[in-house]
Amino acid sequence: MNATGIPLKEPAISAAAGDTEQLERALIDASTRVPVLIFYTSAVAWLILGTLLAGFVSFKLHTPDLLSDISFLTWGRVRPAHMNVMVYGWASMAGMGTAIWLMARLCRTVLRYPLLLVAGAGFWNLGVLLGVGGILLGDSTGYQWLEFPSYAAIILFVAYTLVASWAVLMFRFRRGEQIYITQWYLLAAFLWFPWLYAAGQLMLFVVPVQGVLQAAVGWWYANNLLFLWFGAIGLGTAYYMIPKVIGRPVYSYHLATIGFWSYALFSSWTGMQRLVDGPFPAWMVTASIAATILTLIPVATVGLNHHMTMQGYFPLMRYSPTLRFTVFGAMSYTVFSLVGVLISLRSVASYVNFTQASIAYSHLGLYAFFTMVIFGSMYYIVPRLIGREWRYGSLIKLHFWASAYGIGLMTLMLLAGGLTQGASMENPSLAFSESVESVLPYLRGRSLSGILLTVSHFIFAYHFGLMLFGLGRKSTVPTFLNPVESEGAEPH
Amino acid sequence: MKGLAPLFLGIFGTFAFSWLGLTVIPNWQIGHLNPQSDEEGSDVYPMPQSGMVTRGARVYAANGCNYCHSEQVRAEYSGADIERKWGDRRSAPRDYIFERPVLLGKMRMGQDLANIGARAPKEEESPSPTGGASPAPQGAAASPGSVASAKAASPPPGTSPSPATGPAKSPGAVASKPPTSPGLASPPPSKSPATAAAAAGPPWPEQTAGLPPMYSAAWHHVHLYSPRSINLDSNMPSYRFLYETRRISDARSSDALQLTGSDASPEGWEIVPTYDAKCLVAYMMALNQSHPLKEVRSAGAPAAASPAASPSPAPGGQPAK
Repeated sequence: MNATGIPLKEPAISAAAGDTEQLERALIDASTRVPVLIFYTSAVAWLILGTLLAGFVSFKLHTPDLLSDISFLTWGRVRPAHMNVMVYGWASMAGMGTAIWLMARLCRTVLRYPLLLVAGAGFWNLGVLLGVGGILLGDSTGYQWLEFPSYAAIILFVAYTLVASWAVLMFRFRRGEQIYITQWYLLAAFLWFPWLYAAGQLMLFVVPVQGVLQAAVGWWYANNLLFLWFGAIGLGTAYYMIPKVIGRPVYSYHLATIGFWSYALFSSWTGMQRLVDGPFPAWMVTASIAATILTLIPVATVGLNHHMTMQGYFPLMRYSPTLRFTVFGAMSYTVFSLVGVLISLRSVASYVNFTQASIAYSHLGLYAFFTMVIFGSMYYIVPRLIGREWRYGSLIKLHFWASAYGIGLMTLMLLAGGLTQGASMENPSLAFSESVESVLPYLRGRSLSGILLTVSHFIFAYHFGLMLFGLGRKSTVPTFLNPVESEGAEPH
Repeated sequence: MKGLAPLFLGIFGTFAFSWLGLTVIPNWQIGHLNPQSDEEGSDVYPMPQSGMVTRGARVYAANGCNYCHSEQVRAEYSGADIERKWGDRRSAPRDYIFERPVLLGKMRMGQDLANIGARAPKEEESPSPTGGASPAPQGAAASPGSVASAKAASPPPGTSPSPATGPAKSPGAVASKPPTSPGLASPPPSKSPATAAAAAGPPWPEQTAGLPPMYSAAWHHVHLYSPRSINLDSNMPSYRFLYETRRISDARSSDALQLTGSDASPEGWEIVPTYDAKCLVAYMMALNQSHPLKEVRSAGAPAAASPAASPSPAPGGQPAK
């Protein structure tokens, strides 16, 4: 037993099942090695590129003349390049990697048709590469998160079809009748994404809708991508990792059911609240504001469920990297949703509508919640694919704190900056330029947080690289963040 | 949860509900708007845009202008947009029916541009299809009277180009305009036969030392090329890659930028906009929602009856961005 008196081991169920289960699991993990590592490696490469672009974007925003004479380095092109690298390169690929591994584990079958996934990853990388290149060369479409020119979008869609058809096939081979909570979320994400992406592409570029509806479709797409694709993968992963690491079943299946269906129903109706008071029928905005407020139901149920599962096991966050990252992400999901509700209320929205606060919101969702959960899952999954443990607990710790402080500082800076900016913008006795001046100090602060995040991502990439080249520790005991004082900690 | 069928149905059902509710039904409600016109069928607004304007919108999107500039004016009760003179009425769906892409924007690190074209000095309202940048037709169109008044309204060289510039209130020029919606890049430059004479000199002969009138096409070019030459505090990047520096062959080109100080080109060279830059400026000059809409109440209701008489006044006390 360790100092906390809490066992660091697998759920009781696996301990009882004995060697056959262990062997079966090892076989499944081995079958996922190549495809999942391809997804992860590409994701980490995109993460580094996206981080560099982000730093550049952040500095240019308060230093406008920095390299502005080169067309492909102009702020207005690098910014969408950064967003799309992060959204489609890093977050989507890492999310798919985790989802693939979880699917194989939860369907309790070795991964079949790996070539579908390898081809999918290849096409996806090609699509992102062409898309980002297109944006930098001046082919951006101008719609948030759909900036990729059509030639890249088609390749992405083909790639996605390969991955999604693999997911559906895997489901047919699953063993056991029970479908675990994580699988609901993953299956939903895999089915929602193509519909969403196809609807967005069709309604904006193939048979474009008229006028302002393009903006509405654009925001509907962006918000649903955040919730139904990233959000669903993130929540599903958290539902797997938290019980797995602490070795205790999820607190309540009923709560999980309520959480899942209310999430699907309400979060899909958000999006228009970001267009508050724009040239739209008022009912669209009002419906989305109502839906945003109703997302508090899934937030409360999911949050409560995780909290009750973790109850008494929080000290384990001192040791397990996976748990620490995942719980941070799960908590950020609550913060993200609360901020989302706050900035969508009409009285607040009229202040923060056109300010940096909306950037804070997307970073809370995509980074503080989703990315942190995915980091956690990678710390769990990669050793199982490679057969080596993470080399340095200290690097994981550094990664965590740099990420946590970085995203915390960024959120605070952007929210506070957004409020300041909005307050001066809504005061017509102040010149408009004063609203811009007022936010610049916060943007410099945000650049500082960007340095922290850059450090964190380089540390992670280095550590991941060590693992990839087989330089991890040979051990049966996972790498803990802090030494477990006593004997008896069992491997997991 | 047991059984795949309910799960599948639920996943499809919830998303179909959102898709129908937030895209299909709105499309049925406001997806097929027509331009409005008065009883005689004239005074049509909005009008389809010229090729240059459409291309300019793509240049605008490709260079990410929409990440800092919105193109929507909110109603009086929900923001200070109208008080800031960004428009005299809120934007409505009908304003955008010919826009593609629609770049409403979500951020205001720069001003709202929904009516930037309406803020141009009067004689420049209609960018000629050969380029909002081309000053020749404007120069030709401007009556001596309007040139004189533009001179009077332009800021004295060296001062900050803030308030005074507003629309040059030149009665001559306004009267000569048909009351159609300004800013729609309209038919060929029929008014340019006289170009030859006017093209010889720069369009603002009185301004050799100063800046072009605020929000005129030439002003936009100078602003895009060197934002901080116009407003020291501007946070906008410069877009020099949209301009080319070339040797003057025989005479200085009529659309060469009028730059001063450190930005000025060396002797014997000139800086001219590329075609993309001209399109971009044509697009901005065409951004104009000053035409009244039946479904929206305008702020200055009586004055707004005629578009020509409903200028967005100069942004009072508001430095240019």
